[in-house]
Amino acid sequence: MLRARDVTLSYGGEPVLEGAGVELDAGQFVSLVGPSGSGKSSLLRAVMGLQDISAGTIETPGLARDEIGILFQDDALLPWRSAVDNVALGLRQRGASRAQAREEAEGWLERLKLAGLGGRYPRELSGGQRKRVALAQVLALRPRLLLMDEPFASLDAIVRARVTQDVVNLVESEGIGVLLVTHDLEEAIALSDKIYLLSNGPRARVSHEYPVPLPRPRALIAARTHPKFAPLYGRLWNDLSEAVEGPQPAREAA
Amino acid sequence: MTTVFDRIWVRQVTALAILLGLWEAAGAAGMLNPLYAPSPSQIGAALVQLFSDGSIWPHVEATFAAAIGGLVLGVLVGVMLGAAAALVPLVAQLLEPVMMMLNAVPRVVLAPLCVIWFGIGLGSKVALSFVLVAVLIFFTVYTGIKQVDRRLVERVRTLGGSSWTVLREVYIPFVAAWIMGNLKVAVGFAFTGAVVGEFVGASRGLGYLLSFAQSTFNAALMLALVFLIMGFVLAIFAAAGRIERRLLRWR
Ligand SMILES: Nc1ncnc2c1ncn2[C@@H]1O[C@H](COP(=O)(O)OP(=O)(O)O)[C@@H](O)[C@H]1O
Ligand SMILES: [Mg+2]
Repeated sequence: MLRARDVTLSYGGEPVLEGAGVELDAGQFVSLVGPSGSGKSSLLRAVMGLQDISAGTIETPGLARDEIGILFQDDALLPWRSAVDNVALGLRQRGASRAQAREEAEGWLERLKLAGLGGRYPRELSGGQRKRVALAQVLALRPRLLLMDEPFASLDAIVRARVTQDVVNLVESEGIGVLLVTHDLEEAIALSDKIYLLSNGPRARVSHEYPVPLPRPRALIAARTHPKFAPLYGRLWNDLSEAVEGPQPAREAA
Repeated sequence: MTTVFDRIWVRQVTALAILLGLWEAAGAAGMLNPLYAPSPSQIGAALVQLFSDGSIWPHVEATFAAAIGGLVLGVLVGVMLGAAAALVPLVAQLLEPVMMMLNAVPRVVLAPLCVIWFGIGLGSKVALSFVLVAVLIFFTVYTGIKQVDRRLVERVRTLGGSSWTVLREVYIPFVAAWIMGNLKVAVGFAFTGAVVGEFVGASRGLGYLLSFAQSTFNAALMLALVFLIMGFVLAIFAAAGRIERRLLRWR
């Protein structure tokens, strides 16, 4: 449902990405990791249509424009709107009546474990709760492809683990395809069906592709103790270090 | 142990009462010349007299009319010009120097000009009040729009929002909050404009009474009027503060 091929992208000067490509099938969970500044966010924005590319193609066969949702690192909720109104905003744009949109928004808040908090303003919510509102906001529009740019980076470990598990359960049960940008290798392995590694920029491209041989449904804590987790982590770690620092003498796999 | 003295306002009122008491005592002891520094009781008497025969009300009405007229017009025009300048670079290039110049003059020096241009009636006071408020609001809106969080704009866009939605959901609430934050200053400016305008040339208003008190060397009346204006403005500040807290509950 997503085919990005030979993507070249620049902000005027030297290309940030050159010939980068990723593919994602319906319902697949795919992660994109790479050195910071390599162009992960740029690629995601290009898929969303927020950023022009200068060469290559980005196709989303079988997907309508409004079936793609995006979640950024900052929750960026409207501070002057209550949680439920923040979630209802997109639904209203789709033509739902005010009452309909609110009711549906309440339902999504409930699914994200925020029942009863709909009346609160963003400032009255914790970081994890705000993240859940932002998720409800995007999921309420029933995307079939969800793009996420380091969405959980700002959360502390426990909250992060809980929110992440809830997201996995939701996208698994709804069959939503996900393209996740993360700098956390463990997170990438625990969540994904496939991982792409972007080489160091500028002119970054996808240098490696790793299938993740872990079963679904995924329990994130259990996934980390799966026998296939550690070897994959070791490979990813080595390849990423090489991308950042250039080839290194052989190093022990974790 | 907590006592009533732990309340800030109790302490403030007590301090004020002691100050007034000392002032009164100093007057009674003949240490202050009543011609220059009338005692609190004399000022109080002047205040009571202003209200007892009701002669004050037309003046209060005139000042409020000028201040509120200037405030409303100034906010309207300031918002329109500020928004236009922020959104259309050409407008900004044309307006910024004018606004800078207006901002650079101590605006009360425009008072005599206003009287010449708009006459001795209400018009000149509204005009002065208007200029003070409009310049303030212009800069508030002009800089405010540039501070709008791009991420919010992008968020609303990616949720399917049109330009109109972005304006309604992001720009208007944000700029409204900025204006609310400056509302107290704007109210103060509006009254400054009205009173100074009346002081320079008028036949009615608190500023006119002030100039009358000055020309007759009536220090008690003058101080009574100063306190009266202070009281009115503080009352309006309190009301503005309440409105602000209500509208900006999300803060
Ligand atoms: N709007 C922009 N204008 C100019 N350069 C940008 C812009 N956004 C990103 N870049 C540059 O493009 C490169 C890739 O950025 P980004 O996609 O954010 O990388 P990543 O998400 O992998 O950290 C960086 O060198 C960054 O400085
Ligand atoms: Mg990034």
